[in-house]
Amino acid sequence: MNAIEFILAGMLAAATPFLLAALGEMVVERAGVLNLGVEGMMALGAVIAFIIVYHGGGHVLGFVAAGLASAILSLLFAVIALGFRANQVATGLAIGILGQGLSALFGKTYESLTVTGLPKLAVPGLSEIPVIGGLFVQDAAVWLTLAATLGIWAVFAYTKVGLVIRAIGENPKAAHAIGYPVIAIRVAAVAFGGAMAGFAGAYASVVYTPLWADGMIAGRGWIAIALVVFGTWLTGRIFLGACLFGAVSLMGLAAQATALDVPSQLLSSLPYIVTIVVLGIISADRRLLKLNGVASLGEPFER
Amino acid sequence: MMNHLTRRTLMKGLAATGLAGTLGSRLALAADEPLGITLVLPSPVGDVGWGHALAAGLEPVKAAYGDKVKVTVLENIQEGPDADRIMNKTVADGNKFLIAGSFGYQNGALQIARRDPSVTVLHASGFQVAPNFSPFAAKYFQGTYLLGMAAAALSKTGKLGSVSAFAIPELITSVNAFTLGAQAVNPDIEVSVVWVNSWFDPAKEQEAAKALIAQKCDVIFSNAQDTPSVIAACEEAGVYAFNLNSSMKKYAPKTYLGCVATDWSPFFKASVDAHLAGTFKGANTFLGVADKVVEVVDWNPDIPADTMTKIKELEAKIADGSFSPFTGPIAKADGSEGVAGGATLTDAEIVAMDWHVKGVASPLPK
Repeated sequence: MNAIEFILAGMLAAATPFLLAALGEMVVERAGVLNLGVEGMMALGAVIAFIIVYHGGGHVLGFVAAGLASAILSLLFAVIALGFRANQVATGLAIGILGQGLSALFGKTYESLTVTGLPKLAVPGLSEIPVIGGLFVQDAAVWLTLAATLGIWAVFAYTKVGLVIRAIGENPKAAHAIGYPVIAIRVAAVAFGGAMAGFAGAYASVVYTPLWADGMIAGRGWIAIALVVFGTWLTGRIFLGACLFGAVSLMGLAAQATALDVPSQLLSSLPYIVTIVVLGIISADRRLLKLNGVASLGEPFER
Repeated sequence: MMNHLTRRTLMKGLAATGLAGTLGSRLALAADEPLGITLVLPSPVGDVGWGHALAAGLEPVKAAYGDKVKVTVLENIQEGPDADRIMNKTVADGNKFLIAGSFGYQNGALQIARRDPSVTVLHASGFQVAPNFSPFAAKYFQGTYLLGMAAAALSKTGKLGSVSAFAIPELITSVNAFTLGAQAVNPDIEVSVVWVNSWFDPAKEQEAAKALIAQKCDVIFSNAQDTPSVIAACEEAGVYAFNLNSSMKKYAPKTYLGCVATDWSPFFKASVDAHLAGTFKGANTFLGVADKVVEVVDWNPDIPADTMTKIKELEAKIADGSFSPFTGPIAKADGSEGVAGGATLTDAEIVAMDWHVKGVASPLPK
């Protein structure tokens, strides 16, 4: 396996935690809510999934429970930030810290234990293609994440649900005036974002690196939030950004493994630089940015 | 403040010895009171890793002294003001023996030692010394040299890899000795290093291991990872792997090559003895095979018998001091002379090593 094959084969799996968390956060932000607690929600999902899989509950139950746990945590955010109209930034940060604390608490006796990941499923035919074949050998969670990406894109591109969410993010007063339950839909969006962050955490702890260690999310929740902004709240761009980030971080490691004479610190920071530059170039059109941006982001809604 | 604390300590002592109400001299009470030992750690104490090794090192001290010592382990303490506050509190509570388990605790711990000469402080990986303050570090390189020999004997591709945290001298010497040990068996062997530039990121460590395996490295050295991220990935891929500090054999029953284990108990025990006898003298302690602090355990049975014999011979020579991995001639990676023929690096030179030996293919981060 050469370096390019290694990057192509690993790119989608590396991107999956970012993609899941970022798509969830995108839906939340499209509805006009800013939940910065992604890192903590991922950590909570990760530990819950790990505990269940470790005790033999299986990966499906692990993912479901992780999604539920993180959704419940995000509902706490919704109660405080949407119900009591507290500052969303502060609330999100607090919920994030709470999630990390809870994950450390629940994970205390599971520190450094391991579980088995998921088997890789190959697409017949396509996986035989030289060089790019590795792209088509992924575990079930990656395939489902890709399906979810497509689904979310379709919802926003073609359905009324997508339009309503956007309308609430753009102008909650107008949406309220024509009869949409703004708060209820925002709460639903927040819960969806929480569940997706939970799935992202679960993927990290029971599939990608099947072990539990306190702090293993290591900032990935924050990268997911950054991807939403740099991806200008568009599914396709967020997908691109996540893949790019995954690919470039693998590229950095592969370059070191092949003993390329490039400073490793530069290689370590390359994913951030490349992702920012590429997504920056894509969204250079200020008019488009304004069009895609969410007008009421972070503002509490009062009727 | 001081008076109050002394009185509180006194009252505790009185209660503990059942002498409440009677008057005893403070000295007599101090002798009866157990010695409070506090270990402060930056990470959680798991089943494996750095924190586990340090905590395990205190067990024999507990066993030897029984209720004459009282051990407290404070885990997951972030370096910085938090750690300073917590260390101050534990000393104020009457614990006179402090083990600061991370480099970043240095300044806070040193202040405590300077302020109160009756406190003894041991500090991991530091360089500052005071009469009651000893930094300590392990000579991991003695073990990685031996595992390098085993790795070269087992490697089919002639390529070895290392996932390493940060390019600091302690980790560089481990990689260098690993490379030199491998070259002692196969002069053409090549070592690739991936510096992940993080102390803790299991996902990235595992990706790095997979990147090395994709480059046909068939023995991987997990250099300073506290979780089994690298070891578990190697078992899955069927390549040999080893790590430092504590055994991770259970994560890789088939391909676990061995562990450069650290057993801090002889050092902790000796220091506690000296503290109680009032003879503790702060010194820079760099401990290895000879001190029974570093030992390679869990050797893989796949290692050829003749290689194993050679390894055991060298291990004995390292223990009696007649062999050092860093005896010249050793060339640097850029081809210049690192160590002249016949010369041996001193401990001080090893602690400051900032170059790769020839055979390490990856560039050293500047």
